Amino acid sequence: MELIAAVLLVIVTAVFLLQPILAGKAAPLVSPQAEPTEAQFRKRVALQQLRDVEYEYAMGKLGDADYRSLKSRLSAEALAAIRAEKEEEGGIHGDAAAVAEASEAELEREIALLRARISGGPFCSDCGRPNPAGARFCAHCGASLGAPAVSDSSE
Amino acid sequence: MTILGEFALWMALPISFWGMTMGFVGGRYGRGDLVLSAERSVYVVFGLLLIASLGVIQAFLADQFQYWYVANYSNRELDTYFKIAGLWAGQRGSLLFWAVILAFFSSIAVFQNRRRNREFMPYVVGVLQGILAFFVVVLLFAKVNPFERLGFTPPDGAGLNPQLQNYWMTIHPPTLYFGFTAFSIPFAFAIAALLTGRLDSRWIVVTRRWTLVSWFFLTNGIIFGMRWAYEELGWGGYWFWDPVENASLLPWLSSTAFLHSVMIQENRGMLKIWNMSLVLLTFLLTIFATFLTRSGLIESVHSFAQNTEIAMIFLAFMGSVLAGSVVLILYRLPALRSENQIESFLSREAAFLLNNLVLLGAAFAVLWGTIYPLVSEAITGQAVAVGPPFFNRVNIPIGLVLLALTGIGPVIAWRKASARNLKKNFLLPLLVGAGVVVIFLGLGARDGYALATFGLSAFVLTVIVVEFWKGTRARARIEGEGAFAALLHLVGRNRRRWGGYIVHAGVVMIFTAFAGSAFDREIRKVLNPGESVSVASPFGHTYSLVYEGISSSREPNFDRWVALLSVEKDGKPQGALTTERRFYRVNRQMITEVGIRSTPLEDLYVILADVEDFEGMVTNNPDAQRIVVQVMVNPLVAWIWYGGLIITVGSLIALWPGPEAGPRSRTARQGAAETETDLVEASA
Repeated sequence: MELIAAVLLVIVTAVFLLQPILAGKAAPLVSPQAEPTEAQFRKRVALQQLRDVEYEYAMGKLGDADYRSLKSRLSAEALAAIRAEKEEEGGIHGDAAAVAEASEAELEREIALLRARISGGPFCSDCGRPNPAGARFCAHCGASLGAPAVSDSSE
Repeated sequence: MTILGEFALWMALPISFWGMTMGFVGGRYGRGDLVLSAERSVYVVFGLLLIASLGVIQAFLADQFQYWYVANYSNRELDTYFKIAGLWAGQRGSLLFWAVILAFFSSIAVFQNRRRNREFMPYVVGVLQGILAFFVVVLLFAKVNPFERLGFTPPDGAGLNPQLQNYWMTIHPPTLYFGFTAFSIPFAFAIAALLTGRLDSRWIVVTRRWTLVSWFFLTNGIIFGMRWAYEELGWGGYWFWDPVENASLLPWLSSTAFLHSVMIQENRGMLKIWNMSLVLLTFLLTIFATFLTRSGLIESVHSFAQNTEIAMIFLAFMGSVLAGSVVLILYRLPALRSENQIESFLSREAAFLLNNLVLLGAAFAVLWGTIYPLVSEAITGQAVAVGPPFFNRVNIPIGLVLLALTGIGPVIAWRKASARNLKKNFLLPLLVGAGVVVIFLGLGARDGYALATFGLSAFVLTVIVVEFWKGTRARARIEGEGAFAALLHLVGRNRRRWGGYIVHAGVVMIFTAFAGSAFDREIRKVLNPGESVSVASPFGHTYSLVYEGISSSREPNFDRWVALLSVEKDGKPQGALTTERRFYRVNRQMITEVGIRSTPLEDLYVILADVEDFEGMVTNNPDAQRIVVQVMVNPLVAWIWYGGLIITVGSLIALWPGPEAGPRSRTARQGAAETETDLVEASA
């Protein structure tokens, strides 16, 4: 009885382990899902820190001077990360000035988004852009936002 | 089943080597088919080791004393419960148990990363299978095979060490082993990152989560061990700086350091070499702990075997892991350079760095004290053990510094704290801390360390409470939410941070409980029936215990003598308390089972130190009722267990899967959802 079980165990194992090699079945060597690049990661961290600073300021943990100096440094970091991301995306051929401009625009958008997240404003279901808390119509495209915001940041 | 188990263990040997080879070769030459085979081999090894473990358990349940391991760790009358736990009761079984849990975690890691982190996976699998192969080699060739036969079948086994016949024993070792083995996953990812040269933030993200899993189990395992010692060893304490206790503390210290310093790497791109080294160090310490526990190299309440082969094999393994990893780190040194520098010593980075240094300092002191007997034996020929006084002298001040940093870290600003920031955030906590010290001084407490602990604990708790309060208030104001909803959302939004604060609160409770031991009271007295003993507690209560009598009985596996005492607290009856001695017949060992009456403020802890006339007791001789009791009042001990619960809650909050675990919903709110998810992911 146990002999049969042992033989079966060997056969099943051998088939299971050799089948990929014999049948040419391969595991992916690069991730099929897009993984965030280093620039994207840095961008996220910088934005996360920016959000923390906004929060700590709102909590009264940071004074005005500290808040301003931290914020300007972090914004610079986030900007650098966004620029790196843009360059990664568009290759190095892009016009430097255009990249810089686009990056600044994006940072502004991100900060607006952050602010909106913190203040819990609704996002437009048509264009996806943030709106101030309590808004009933999208400030960007005019679509109805439905009932006033209930923040979904509970995840 | 047992034969099949033995067969499966042998089969695991070639399969784990296969997986290791296929992983590395497949990764090196980009052969996806070999990698797939390697990944599958992880599941196979887990299945095989599971069959082997079930084989051992079956041998215990069926009283198969022809096996050395069963004959030495069980007997016919042993509870079924403890027969199952026999798998991890001794060196041989627990090495197998270690391997099967590692294979379990490895399978989870492989399954989780079917479509993620693919660049790392060939090497991750290679490393994990390498570790598994090592343990299988040890099991089969280091004279520790749990399936080894005696050549004859004894009529009964030698029994399980009575001190292990306690239900904490059935959960304390597995929990610790979960903690030890789970750390192999961060190690495997670190090595994979070094081998592939992908040293950006990717491996850190995977690693810190698994580190937290490991840390969660380690912490609980250590606390369960304290509980076991408190209830079972019968000397009134919970930590004796025993080598094996120390061995479990070492990886805890270094992984705690890593959990903090990894945040600096994430936020500031610093300390990459340091973090890599901490992962390596922690892994080595988990192996060292297993080695120390199960080699019997240093005398301890836990170790039961003297075996030099296994010591040599373990040392060789640790040596090669160390050498290999150091070479890899040196090879990748240019890629591990810091992106930033510490800007000020008054900053969160600096506080974290100091926390790291202190934790490692503690680890080094504990390690040194633990191996000192070996070192002194090698040099002078005489093993000199350093006792609890050494460890306490070194570690109490270190612990106090850590406690202080627990309060400072969360509120000091990143980069550079201004004087205003410091004043704004520290004034209230410092005042509360000082107030507590003054109150305790007024109450007559004079122990400097205890006073410092109480003051610092109050300081840290105030910091944490204020953080929660300010955060909730800010959120409630901004969002217009109710306080409770605001608190929930606040925590949900950055689980790692707020979970961490809750863990800190638990740690503070435990420190306070430690400080309570400075006020222990103890009295030892000979009692005849009807006589009483009184003890005054440090909180001003008076306990008096009247000895009512003693009874004896014969249980399947032991004889027991149970003394009954009625308890009064300040003259008010509190019911009865029993305390007992047991004689385990098969082991021919006498042990005590203490009676504990626990309240949040203090424990009444009664040891039946001696019974005048055991034989007379059995024959009901009325003059043979005299006993010796040792009565202790241990203040605040219960707060260790409460603190443990709080730590569990906090680490579960930090560990709880964020939204990144589920499939992302592709709705029109996608932009918003993704940014939020990304932010949470970055902070989780």
